[in-house]
Amino acid sequence: MPSLDIKNLHVSTDGREIVRGVSLTINSGEVHAIMGPNGTGKSTMAKAIAGHPDYAITEGDVLVDGKSIIGMEPDERAREGIFLAFQYPSEIPGVSIANFLRAAIQARMAEGEEIDASGYYKRLYQKMDLLKIDRTFTSRALNDGFSGGEKKRTEILQMAMLEPRFALMDETDSGLDIDALRIVSDGVNQLRGPNLGILLITHYQRLLSYIVPDHVHVMIDGRIVKSGDKSLALELESRGYDWVKQEFANA
Amino acid sequence: MPATEQAKALSDTVGDFTQEAFDAHLAALEAAPGWWVDRKKAAYARFASLPMPVRTDEKWRFSTLSGLGLAGFAPGLEGGTAAGRALDVPAAATLVFNNGALASATSTGLPEGVIAVPLSEALVHHADLLREHFMAQPQRLGSGKFAALHEAFLRDGAFIHVPRGVQVERPIVVVHGASGAGAAVFPHTLVVAGENSRVTVVDEFVSTDEGRQLACGANDLYAGHGASITYVAAQCWSSEALSFQFNSTVVRRDARVQSLNLHLGARQARHESLSQLQAPGGLSEMLAVTVANGSHEYDQRTLQVHQAPNTKSDLLYKNALLDKARTIFSGLIIVDPDAQKTDAYQSNRNLMLSDDAESNSLPGLEIQANDVRCTHGATSARIDPEQEFYLRSRGIPPDKANELLIFGFFEEVLNRLGDEALHDALRGLIRRRLETRRG
Amino acid sequence: MPDDIQTLETVENPVSGIDQSSGNFKYDVTYDFDAGTGLSERTVDYISGVKKEEKWLYDFRQNALKTFFSKPLPTHWASRDLENINFDKIRYYLSQGTKPKRTWDEVPADIKKTFERLGIPEQERKFLAGVEAQFDSEAAYSNIKDAVAKQGVIFVNSTEGLREHPDLFRRFFGKVIPTGDNKFSALNSAVFSGGSFIYVPPGVKVSHPLQAYFRINAENFGQFERTLIICDEGSEVTYMEGCTAPKFSTATLHSAVVELVALKGAKIQYITVQNWSPNVFNLVTKRGLAHEEAEIKWIDCNIGSRLTMKYPGVVLKGRKARGEVISIALANDGQHQDTGAKMVHAADETTSTVVSKSISVGQGRATYRGVVHIPRHLKGCKNNTECDALLINTNSRTDTYPAITVRGDRHAVQHEASVSKVSAEQIFYMQQRGLTEGQAMSLSVNGFINDLARQFPMEYSVELKRLIDLEMEGSVG
Repeated sequence: MPSLDIKNLHVSTDGREIVRGVSLTINSGEVHAIMGPNGTGKSTMAKAIAGHPDYAITEGDVLVDGKSIIGMEPDERAREGIFLAFQYPSEIPGVSIANFLRAAIQARMAEGEEIDASGYYKRLYQKMDLLKIDRTFTSRALNDGFSGGEKKRTEILQMAMLEPRFALMDETDSGLDIDALRIVSDGVNQLRGPNLGILLITHYQRLLSYIVPDHVHVMIDGRIVKSGDKSLALELESRGYDWVKQEFANA
Repeated sequence: MPATEQAKALSDTVGDFTQEAFDAHLAALEAAPGWWVDRKKAAYARFASLPMPVRTDEKWRFSTLSGLGLAGFAPGLEGGTAAGRALDVPAAATLVFNNGALASATSTGLPEGVIAVPLSEALVHHADLLREHFMAQPQRLGSGKFAALHEAFLRDGAFIHVPRGVQVERPIVVVHGASGAGAAVFPHTLVVAGENSRVTVVDEFVSTDEGRQLACGANDLYAGHGASITYVAAQCWSSEALSFQFNSTVVRRDARVQSLNLHLGARQARHESLSQLQAPGGLSEMLAVTVANGSHEYDQRTLQVHQAPNTKSDLLYKNALLDKARTIFSGLIIVDPDAQKTDAYQSNRNLMLSDDAESNSLPGLEIQANDVRCTHGATSARIDPEQEFYLRSRGIPPDKANELLIFGFFEEVLNRLGDEALHDALRGLIRRRLETRRG
Repeated sequence: MPDDIQTLETVENPVSGIDQSSGNFKYDVTYDFDAGTGLSERTVDYISGVKKEEKWLYDFRQNALKTFFSKPLPTHWASRDLENINFDKIRYYLSQGTKPKRTWDEVPADIKKTFERLGIPEQERKFLAGVEAQFDSEAAYSNIKDAVAKQGVIFVNSTEGLREHPDLFRRFFGKVIPTGDNKFSALNSAVFSGGSFIYVPPGVKVSHPLQAYFRINAENFGQFERTLIICDEGSEVTYMEGCTAPKFSTATLHSAVVELVALKGAKIQYITVQNWSPNVFNLVTKRGLAHEEAEIKWIDCNIGSRLTMKYPGVVLKGRKARGEVISIALANDGQHQDTGAKMVHAADETTSTVVSKSISVGQGRATYRGVVHIPRHLKGCKNNTECDALLINTNSRTDTYPAITVRGDRHAVQHEASVSKVSAEQIFYMQQRGLTEGQAMSLSVNGFINDLARQFPMEYSVELKRLIDLEMEGSVG
């Protein structure tokens, strides 16, 4: 079964080590959630896996289907099937969603192969309808002046169109009201299936009542300190993070 | 002064545009009316007496003056290869000039009364309009000498007149071609839009070969009461050309002029654009997109003059700089005393794409009325690394990501064009330019 | 004025600041040294002779004079009003001697009266680490608090600096602003007298400001002080200068040169509040050199004068150096404030900021000129420039002429400018609450510069506010 293997991952930014030895395997079809207080390295790990130039992997490895990706450029990693749903998606003035997605899909095709325009738009509109994104958005510049909810829905739209093998979803619930959260979660649940592994990064349990995870991990100070099933998330919600910290310190 | 030094001084001032060359030019103009010949003689005298720009000329600050020499050029000859179209857009009429002479004129459904003819013909049939509007505005941006050269050696050009109340839907296209090494061309387009008329005019500047050429062109845009002019110029001269282009825009009451200049060609290009807002309600939108590469220099000087209250001007010039290219943007907004309620904007954005490129911005304001809204801004920055990472994290390779971001940068300007066919044609032209460069 | 307004002002003005608002007075003074009228080699001979200068400096002055004569007035970009300066009718040196007094009691009575009226001795007692008071060509008084002097801080006038610290002085003098930088720096280099010389030893942080006061008293006079401030590694100093002159019917010239050197990690803050009388041509060259991780900040408030041309600059020479110019200018009827900033980035990761706010009243004209220069093969340089102009009357004038050169794709540079007026609505609102139109206007103008004024030491922001109030009186109606 295809898997995303994170092995003893250490990540530094600005000379400071943020992620300090995380190991985790996500198999296709599974949804993992990583929870933890702010600043414990959850987002750093996701950005490092996607290849953000500000984050250096100093030790360890990340394998997609047994193949190391950490020497690859960000776009090569994406074409290997890694998708990062950003916590704060960039605003890109002047580049329309339609043109952008076309370029991204074209980049995944073999040399000389051309995108089928009518099929492309049919698929695009279908996904947009699903995510309740107005069709006029195709000609709008990517994320430019979008509300928080519109940005997050556009991230899911891209995920739906690009069909990644592993999606890292960084605080996808942040900035969403309850209606927007439901739309986004419905979108993600539609994409769930045997060919996709998902890593949800979240601070709160509320997202996990909409996207129910198979596994829950707690990350503190750059390490995974506890793993369990979905009940762990509920426990964290009611008891906070301190008891995990305590338990870890005592161990 | 010894004879040789004298000769050198003369050559520095007029290059190969000597009195003999001018006499030969005049002799070839058959049937030109006397007043026209007199104007040209006066223009030549002005050209010959004015000095070349020097280092201390504020209007030439940052310009590479050594590249402006006028030696080694001669007025282009007839019979060269006719230029092809740079932009593929359906036109209401097309005039093609090669080396200043009319090569073809086609019309496919110009509305009744609209005139789109060579200047040589307008001299005979529309002398009054020509006298009133042809280069009638002051040269305020530093190129008095080169504008005089243009007027002296101008052979033919386009004259477009849209009468009162007439709307021309499709663009009128004028192609100005230059062919042959050392050819000097003096393209001109004069647009007079009558009361409440509407017209779109496209100038295309095309070299048929890659030689060293001199292009010294001008366009006059006159928008009468309530008129609307959209003017697009695609400058695609040879990459060895020295180019001057002088624009004068006059905006009358409630009129609107939108001009967009796309600069792709020439080794050194100087573009001067003057908008005079002469009556309340007038709007001038001044747009430019420049792809500067190689070791080319693009030197843009603009002036927005608000001469009446309640007028508006909006300038947006965007440059993408690659390789060792240099750009200069020097813009000035002048609000005359009593031009209250002026709304003026001026923005120069430089996208730096190479460590060897250099941008110079001189955005200026001179304001003498207090109840105004005037702002300007200039930025020079690279591609935002976060934007680039975002695109690449979606699997788009670096070259493609850069291209998308360059187009995204230009889109804010191109978007302002209402005409979608024109918009797409300009995008196509830029794309081809970037692709040629990449090889 | 209603009572409540007075109360408000008293509350807002808890310190009696330096009072430049009443600079228009004059006491008769007799001068022991006078170089006469007009400028020639003999003028330079005289000045150098009075100061008993060394040969190198004498030669320096004479060369500078040649440069001055050879350079044209910069009217190809600057105001033609410069042509109205008659250099032959100016007196270039006037003093009662070259040794300043260390106590106010020793200062001759005629000069002391002037400074007392301006509030200098009182201010010194209250909050300053040292004071130098220049009267025409030389300092009449100069003193530094013992505690500061004991840290090794040198604060003397330039004449003394040359005499007592010749090696240190010569090492840095004329290095930041070469003689030929412009016509007026050449003039200053030829005939300079007075100004401050400051040296702060490594690591010393001078906790209170050093203050210099420049007073022009004589008619047809030119004041040419020369200031040199050197902050050694990791040291910090704040220097403040004030300037006034009585109103004369003829033109007076003030042409200073100020050079700052901030060595590694040092911080210099230089504050000017100028209120020249409207007959003064104020043509000043100010520039600082910031080494690695050093910071130079110019706070420049220009009120008064006939024509001010002043563009404080910072050459960012060391990695991560920072430069900042905060400029406030108020141009009233018949005045032209031509001010701005110059930022030259000469090392990686250097940052500069320029904030300029100008106010044009009546027929006054405020001009901003700026240069930002980032040459090739540097990386990570940043500049941010903001220019805001406030126009009070219908035909007030403002100009903005920045020049920005950026080479390479590793920098971020941004310039923005805007123009606004005081809205009639705002004025009406305040009038409805009982303020006069002038008071309302004054409040609005102070509001316009408030975010900048807050960065000054309180004594100076109070003074600035008072000067603005005075200028705004009678500006409307």
